[in-house]
Amino acid sequence: MANEVCLRNLDQDRPWLLKRYQAAGGYEVLSRILKENTPPDEIIEEVKASGLRGRGGAGFPTGLKWSFIARNAPGQKYVVCNSDEGEPGTFKDRDILRYNPHQLIEGMIIAGYAIGATVGYNYIRGEFWEPYRRFEDALEEARAAGFLGKNLLGSGFDFQLHSHLGAGAYICGEETALLESIEGKKGQPRYKPPFPAHFGLYGRPTIINNTESLASIPVILEKGGSWFKKLGVENSGGSKLFSISGHINNPGVFEIPLGTPFSELLEMAGGMKEGSKMKAVIPGGSSAPVIPGDQMMDLTMDYDAIAKAGSMLGSGAVIVMDDSTCMVKVLERMSYFYHEESCGQCTPCREGTGWLYRVVSRIENGKGRPEDLALLDDMTVKIAGRTICALGDAAAMPVQGMLKHYRDEFEYHIEHKRCMTGG
Amino acid sequence: MSDDQMVTIEVDGRKLEAKAGELLIEVTDAAGINIPRFCYHKKLSVSANCRMCLVEVSKVPKPIPACATTVNNGMQVFTRSPLALAAQKGTMEFLLINHPLDCPICDQGGECELQDVAVGYGSDVSRFVEGKRVIPERNIGPLIATDFTRCIHCTRCVRFGAEIAGIRELGATGRGEHMEIGTYVEKSIDSELSGNIIDVCPVGSLTSKPARYQARAWELVQREAVAPHDSVGSNLHIHLRRNQVMRVHPKDNESVNECWISDRDRFSYLGLYSEDRVTRPLIKTEGQWKECDWQEALDFAAQGMKKARGGDGDQIGALVSPTATLEEMYLTRKLMGGLGSRNVDSRLRQGDFRGEESAPWLGQSIADLDNLNGVLLIGSNVRKEQPIFAHRLRKAAMEGAWVGFVTPFELDMNYRAEQLVSSPAGMISDLAAVAKALGLSGSLVDDAEVSDVHQRVAEKLKTAEKTTVLLGNLAVAHMDYSLLRHLGALIADATDSVLGFLPEAANSVGARLVGVAGGDGLDSLAMLNSPRKGYLLLGVEPDWDFWNPSLARQSLSEAEFVVALSAYRSASLEENADVILPVAGFTESSGTYVNAEGIWQSFNGSVKPMGEARPAWKVLRVLGNLLDVADFEYNSSSQVLEEARDSSTIQPGGNSSTPGELNVRTPAAGLVRAGDVPLYASDALVRRSNPLQKTNDAISAAVHVNPQVAKDGGFSAGDQVMVKQGNTGATMALVIDEAIPDGCARIPAALSGTGELGGQFGEVTLEKA
Amino acid sequence: MKALRDYVKSLFLLELMKGLGLTGRYLFKKKFTVQYPEEKAPISSRFRGVHALRRYPNGEERCIACKLCEATCPALAITIEAEPRDDGSRRTTRYDIDLFKCIFCGYCQEACPVDAIVETRIYEYSFENRQEAVLTKEKLLAIGDKCEAQLAADISAQADYR
Repeated sequence: MANEVCLRNLDQDRPWLLKRYQAAGGYEVLSRILKENTPPDEIIEEVKASGLRGRGGAGFPTGLKWSFIARNAPGQKYVVCNSDEGEPGTFKDRDILRYNPHQLIEGMIIAGYAIGATVGYNYIRGEFWEPYRRFEDALEEARAAGFLGKNLLGSGFDFQLHSHLGAGAYICGEETALLESIEGKKGQPRYKPPFPAHFGLYGRPTIINNTESLASIPVILEKGGSWFKKLGVENSGGSKLFSISGHINNPGVFEIPLGTPFSELLEMAGGMKEGSKMKAVIPGGSSAPVIPGDQMMDLTMDYDAIAKAGSMLGSGAVIVMDDSTCMVKVLERMSYFYHEESCGQCTPCREGTGWLYRVVSRIENGKGRPEDLALLDDMTVKIAGRTICALGDAAAMPVQGMLKHYRDEFEYHIEHKRCMTGG
Repeated sequence: MSDDQMVTIEVDGRKLEAKAGELLIEVTDAAGINIPRFCYHKKLSVSANCRMCLVEVSKVPKPIPACATTVNNGMQVFTRSPLALAAQKGTMEFLLINHPLDCPICDQGGECELQDVAVGYGSDVSRFVEGKRVIPERNIGPLIATDFTRCIHCTRCVRFGAEIAGIRELGATGRGEHMEIGTYVEKSIDSELSGNIIDVCPVGSLTSKPARYQARAWELVQREAVAPHDSVGSNLHIHLRRNQVMRVHPKDNESVNECWISDRDRFSYLGLYSEDRVTRPLIKTEGQWKECDWQEALDFAAQGMKKARGGDGDQIGALVSPTATLEEMYLTRKLMGGLGSRNVDSRLRQGDFRGEESAPWLGQSIADLDNLNGVLLIGSNVRKEQPIFAHRLRKAAMEGAWVGFVTPFELDMNYRAEQLVSSPAGMISDLAAVAKALGLSGSLVDDAEVSDVHQRVAEKLKTAEKTTVLLGNLAVAHMDYSLLRHLGALIADATDSVLGFLPEAANSVGARLVGVAGGDGLDSLAMLNSPRKGYLLLGVEPDWDFWNPSLARQSLSEAEFVVALSAYRSASLEENADVILPVAGFTESSGTYVNAEGIWQSFNGSVKPMGEARPAWKVLRVLGNLLDVADFEYNSSSQVLEEARDSSTIQPGGNSSTPGELNVRTPAAGLVRAGDVPLYASDALVRRSNPLQKTNDAISAAVHVNPQVAKDGGFSAGDQVMVKQGNTGATMALVIDEAIPDGCARIPAALSGTGELGGQFGEVTLEKA
Repeated sequence: MKALRDYVKSLFLLELMKGLGLTGRYLFKKKFTVQYPEEKAPISSRFRGVHALRRYPNGEERCIACKLCEATCPALAITIEAEPRDDGSRRTTRYDIDLFKCIFCGYCQEACPVDAIVETRIYEYSFENRQEAVLTKEKLLAIGDKCEAQLAADISAQADYR
């Protein structure tokens, strides 16, 4: 079964309109909660029971995150949605914003209700102009219909939601950098602890969730946490959006239950392009280590299986590469990305990403030296785990993955000053 | 968990006691365990960005920064375990890949934190073979030289600006490797504390521009001194090479200047090497100055004084700079006393001597300023008068203290403060209104009109817990100073606030202790208003150091004989003096200053006086001998100090003010001058420091009025206008400034161009020139 | 017996002949001495003679006023003063070596990060008054200009050992 949660309304004409969403039962969960005055703890318990894990990449259990907020602490609290979808290969949140914005709005209102926040922000990636416009229109509709603003549906609960367009920095997808950016500061991650649940936006308790996580909330509460959990497999509840791209016939976004075999996902995406043979797959966005194709074909798409294979499910961005792909070239491109996107705050990442890129680039351009691979190995160890945020790890892991599985290609490059694949 | 709960942690096998919630790096620093660091600074916020202080902590899989980790009971820390060392060495390698390693031409070389740590944690050969990052030199003003190619992006300077100086002048723009420290739009760094970024910078990115390339760290000899400019008495380290001051650094003193000093204290030393230093005694015969030897000059001076005195000691007087040392002041008074004169005064910029006041103490300790909840400053541009006090008050304000100003022109603030801006006459009525709002009565107070603002000020002072009322330089210079002081004292009394003074100069308090200020002779204005036949000037320049320079020049020129002890020859001194005895300047003489809090701080001479100049106390001692004054056989300045200390009966304590007659002298109508002394015009040394004179705080003579006054007079900005004050006048440019209230013209004093005018406060008229 | 032997020895001048024989042998052997100043002994490329300041090929002086030579000099023979030149670069305004103090240890050239201060092969110099013993910056640069070819060759010959 596909498209049961976030993309369940795709069969409709212009599904982003409020009337279409309501026709399909939208905002009913919210109305029920507000009418019945459901205790927030019950909502959080339900989300915990669903086994929903953060869909942005880290996979932290959403219900647990919500329970860290001191609900009854005085003062403002915030709900922040992270739609700064910057991970190369990922394009799933864009489709939620485009086709199902109201479900996200409903999810954020419920989240606000659950933690006692009355203000929410949706931080949308700077390049997402069309999704931003559509989300803004949806906000207008929701405000007009009384789902946002003061005293929602006569319940006495206030919630206002604003969208905030980023300026095109990958690092602002990191939750604390995102908060800094909303505050109008330079997008640089904060040192943690304190975590946002204690010291978040404007220094107030804040929850930050991915678009997909928040958009899943109304469905979880409608159909029950155990229903959602049963969609997936042990430790990976529910279904998930996968953005699959690369050398395949039908790239796109697919919502499938977690635990679905990769081969099925590949089939949905139309299989490999004519005449090409699968070489490697990056299963979770560019930060995830690469997995060789034959190994990947035996895996199921869930957190544990991918982790066991030495990679991460991440944001569900599956990049499929065929055997004409030069892995050195791939790594050069990815290293360049992290070099450009490092915020520059802490030393290992600021200096290390640039160095990584230069060394890989040198190998790609036939100027590699035999000792360079050892240098790369050593550098990744010195970057990973020693930075303020995870960008350092994100830059180091692809290098480690490539050197683990395709070391011979790099050695060939260094020795013969050209590509093994003839590319 | 309460803050003072103690926990026990173990660092490298050593058990340490620490307060719960303390940072790990603070605990290890206190225990003398060295953890390398760059971005951590004890006075700045934690940013944890350099990653140099990574240490291993038990039960934490990754190395974590000691500067951002709070201690927990039972925590086991390993600062030199294989994991910690690998992390530290890894960071070091990354820091060095883009560092130019140009230590031989870097002024920081030899005292560089990066060098020091690289010796311990760097490797001998670089594995980085790619091109390094280069950033072109940026001009950020006359005080600080930049070389951001050397920058390691610790952001200490950025945080200093945001957190201590209170102006975000530097920032980090760009991302990743392209991150650069800079001003974004090219501009100078204008904070009055800006020089401290030289000290906080761990590498050679920010260095002193005046001292550029002139000395290496290992050539310098360090001596201690006390800052000679304001009443903070900042503790200094003087760095010397071959009998020359090469630079000035702060000496940590938590209760005075913490680890900061103002730019004025840091860069004024350059005034020592001004071209108009007097290096040989000078005497004037038949209108011609000639150099001579000490014997001749001293005889000449003694004879002249004797002659001017005639049979009446009251015919002579001494005008002493408030930056003179306690010893010099004491000897001056004793010398004058020996000649039968009680006319000695150092309050040269005071505009009103009615009533009586106690010594101008701060009334509290300097560190107390940090913890105030409410402050009312009367006539004080404290940021440009005593920058370190301003920093302390800002700290209090950032913690939520209410700060209010009664001021004749709006001040440029770096925190939120309430300003009651009104003309010089309005200052009195504002204070009277606050007093009335507090329920007080009496003359002045009864007629006041109370508005919401006054009510609010009264409310704030009354309700806040620890409050103070402080009088600043502009209040002292006010022609109704005694009224401002009286009203301030009333308000302080009614609100249970401490009455305090922000004394103008390094030894304003000391002068009072040895009877040079507030003695029983004539005050400085009286000495000039009823001219004496002979004057002794100590470190004074007639054009710039008096409340009313025109009056000063006139009285001095009419006198029979004027002896000047001065380090510099200025035109107005040459015009009015008969003999100039060259005396030692800052760092060249031993002495003592008493700061605002009342701390006696003695210092030794660090360098030999220039040329034949001699410490002023020695000159005074010999003059005393030549004039046959009894008990004048001192062999060292410490003997003088001892005698001065024994003779002084005044102890630091509560302030008091006794009003004189309560009539207002300030004209209520018309245009009244408010003459502040700009930051870099305060004394002879500062006025000669070239780099400071090139900063934006070194303003030139001008008359500042608000747009309405300019319109009424038919002036536009930049016009040359003739300013008439009594029977004096000067031509200067007109500046239109929204910060000036109606009825007020701000005409700064102590600048070349304003020395032709009268008192710092007084009625003026403007005409087109 | 002894008296007889002594008599014969002295009669035939045997001791003298022995000595002359030794002298005669050396008369025809290869000579060790050089005819200084007409002839000069060979000099090592490591020879430490009088000092010179070198320039780059474009004429720019090498010395950057880092003062490491001044700091390392065990005899305190070097005196340097520096300030920014008009173009902003770091240069000396004074560079004096007092040859009366100098012990020709060569530490200065070892400390120099830019091969600016070097010791030449010149060992023939004399002074007529005491002031001349202080080599000023101008004199040092002039010596450097004169000996540059030799200096460059010597330094490159030693490059592998530094």
